[in-house]
Amino acid sequence: MATQVFSIPKSLKKDVKYSFCPGCDHGVAVRLVAECLDELGLKENTITATSIGCSVGLYDFIDIDAIEAPHGRALAVATGVKRANPDKFVFTYQGDGDFASIGWAESMHSAFRGEKLSAICINNTTYGMTGGQLGPTTLLGQVTTTSPTGRNIEYYGYPVKIAEHIALSEGTAFSARVSLDSVANIRKAKAAIKKAFEVQMKGLGFGFVEILSSCPTNWRMSPQQAHERVRNEMMPIYKLGVYKDITA
Amino acid sequence: MEKDFIIAGFGGQGVLLAGEVLANAFMLDDKKVTWYPCYGAEMRGGTVNCGIVMSEEEVSSVQKSKADFIIVLNQASFDKYASWVRKGGYIIVNSSLAKKSDNQRDDINYIYVPITEVAQEKLGNIKMSNIYALGVLAKVSKLVSVESLEKALYNVIPPHRKHLIPKNTEALKLGYEYDLLKV
Amino acid sequence: MVAECVTGKKVLMKGNYAIANAAIKAGCQCYFGYPITPQSEIGEFMSGKMQELGRAYVSAESELAAINMVIGAVSTGVKAMSSSSSCAISLMQEALSYATADQLPVVLVSVMRGGPGLGNIYPSQGDYNQATIGGGNGDYKLIVLAPSTVQECIDLTYKAFYLAFKYKNPTMILADGLLGQMMEPVEFYDYPYPEIDTTSWALSGAKDRSARVIRSYAPLEENQCVFLDNLFKKYELIEQNEVEYEEYMVDDADFVVVAFGSMFRNVKSAVKLCREKGLKVGAFRPITLYPFPSERLNSLADKVKKILVTEINMGQMVRDVRLAVNGKVPVLFKGKGVGAMIDVETLVEEIEKQMGGV
Repeated sequence: MATQVFSIPKSLKKDVKYSFCPGCDHGVAVRLVAECLDELGLKENTITATSIGCSVGLYDFIDIDAIEAPHGRALAVATGVKRANPDKFVFTYQGDGDFASIGWAESMHSAFRGEKLSAICINNTTYGMTGGQLGPTTLLGQVTTTSPTGRNIEYYGYPVKIAEHIALSEGTAFSARVSLDSVANIRKAKAAIKKAFEVQMKGLGFGFVEILSSCPTNWRMSPQQAHERVRNEMMPIYKLGVYKDITA
Repeated sequence: MEKDFIIAGFGGQGVLLAGEVLANAFMLDDKKVTWYPCYGAEMRGGTVNCGIVMSEEEVSSVQKSKADFIIVLNQASFDKYASWVRKGGYIIVNSSLAKKSDNQRDDINYIYVPITEVAQEKLGNIKMSNIYALGVLAKVSKLVSVESLEKALYNVIPPHRKHLIPKNTEALKLGYEYDLLKV
Repeated sequence: MVAECVTGKKVLMKGNYAIANAAIKAGCQCYFGYPITPQSEIGEFMSGKMQELGRAYVSAESELAAINMVIGAVSTGVKAMSSSSSCAISLMQEALSYATADQLPVVLVSVMRGGPGLGNIYPSQGDYNQATIGGGNGDYKLIVLAPSTVQECIDLTYKAFYLAFKYKNPTMILADGLLGQMMEPVEFYDYPYPEIDTTSWALSGAKDRSARVIRSYAPLEENQCVFLDNLFKKYELIEQNEVEYEEYMVDDADFVVVAFGSMFRNVKSAVKLCREKGLKVGAFRPITLYPFPSERLNSLADKVKKILVTEINMGQMVRDVRLAVNGKVPVLFKGKGVGAMIDVETLVEEIEKQMGGV
């Protein structure tokens, strides 16, 4: 008798065509989120607030109740859901533009208030859906469609280090930065997502995971080259690790 | 017929509270009534006033530029509001803080009462000025009774300050006993 | 002190507190807000009362966040609200557009102050257009209810929660600084409307059913056309069923004055004075600014010779009245940018002047 060693997580919709670009890490991130929801038994008790950008499609892939928030407002919408329903599990899934640029106030204040929420932020150093413009996390020197000669400090200022900022808030229970460039790092990423979920379940405070992600399309790279870039260019600036964990 | 009242003074003189007591008294007398505040731009220490409109029918205009009875607790309010009194109307002036006018209108009635001094000397607290002035108004206007004003105190003064009611009642009565002939 | 609102007992209360108390009695479970004069009393009162009742209250980081928190809460079928004023209602326009597209029962109180820009804290009716036309993107409508007394602040707050849920559409209570700050005797009564079942659409977790998505993203042209057709069928229904207005002495009137909100109080007493002078004047007040009582105004235009619109703005409602009467009679305007309502004497003068030719 055959043993099943692989299956689609229950929290993912079946027979759905994924609209992410080839080589994009969103697909892996969504799967990790779904696996964590499955493993923690959360699927039927969860409401998610999705965001605007490549992450908007989350509700097309994930088989849980969802509300699409206006750009940058996912954590405000999630706050409303959670305060109205303290017994529900509520998380957001956002990009770096949504989380750290247009939604910075909502993001930081959710952490300041110590909302019992979990937030996942995909950092790919660009606005993906609109065609690769400069975003809050675009690295110094990085060429984008709105930084044609590369990000310089004079015109664009510095990139935002999200996980470090979120960790500074007293209301934050967990803040980590992870990557999806290797199997080992994917495992660590899953553990971090699970932890960010668990601190909400225990009512400890705000749980946050920043996921370094590739964007082969807008970086104009192959998937392999894109992961090389995550390792060689992003990780030296956006250092992986757990920045705050009140359970440790 | 609508009757219009204005109470004006410095912020901190209890102008809005006195207005609220008066409006509540009218409500308890089954009159229609509105109360509307007006502040200076400053939150503290600036001029403040409130307008109360009492009527047998539904109150129409909440803010008017004329009134039948005006209480002014300081000089600035006196200067501003003397011209607002309707012909035949009354202005009750706190003569402790406002000087008698040199060119008084002859079509209105001026009631000068040393409100602050009385509150300090006879009631032992200048904070009683506002309620004392209401007592004077009750006597002058004949439109509200001390009893209704006293009942109104219970609606306005929060439960944890209920012990202040007897002193305020005393202030109302003392105001009502003010000898208008002296003026 | 905020009077205790015991059902059936007359209390003297500010419009802002009346709205807040009514919202609580209507079963509002969540309040999200950010302070702005002249409506801060609503949030102040809610902060204490909601905690006392074990309901939700958040001092949001901005009005932007506040209205989106309301969206989150109502998406789960829970009654929730925010309140704000003029320049800060501007900040909420995006979310109102989303909430109409998401068909969510958002309740929002707008206590108008002077504008444009920061303006001032004096009463104003300058946000008639903001409320009825809106600043958000796309084709949408808010249901807009405009009280003119403190008692009506209670009545229309109850109604706002009911209509919001009945039609799954954002509903606004449009008051002004005068109404928010003035006190008047009011009587509370229990929430008079039936509770609307939300179980067919509210988010609650995908247990024993397929997952639900509340979204406005509509990548397909034809789907969005169908959606908008259906949305506007809903608005037709609202226009058929929910128009509300007040009339005063219009039956034999040659001349009708139209005003909404606080301004109507002065109009009514001006009409009274005109009647004493033998002038056949009446007054008309739209209570629902959307749906606007266009049909009734149109039929009034068959009987009257002129209509005067009076507002504390530069003539925003005039357009709706003109569209309603469709050229049958001249529609005149007497307005004032901001501040105290136009006084009764001025109104009487204006009516007499305009009636000269009637």
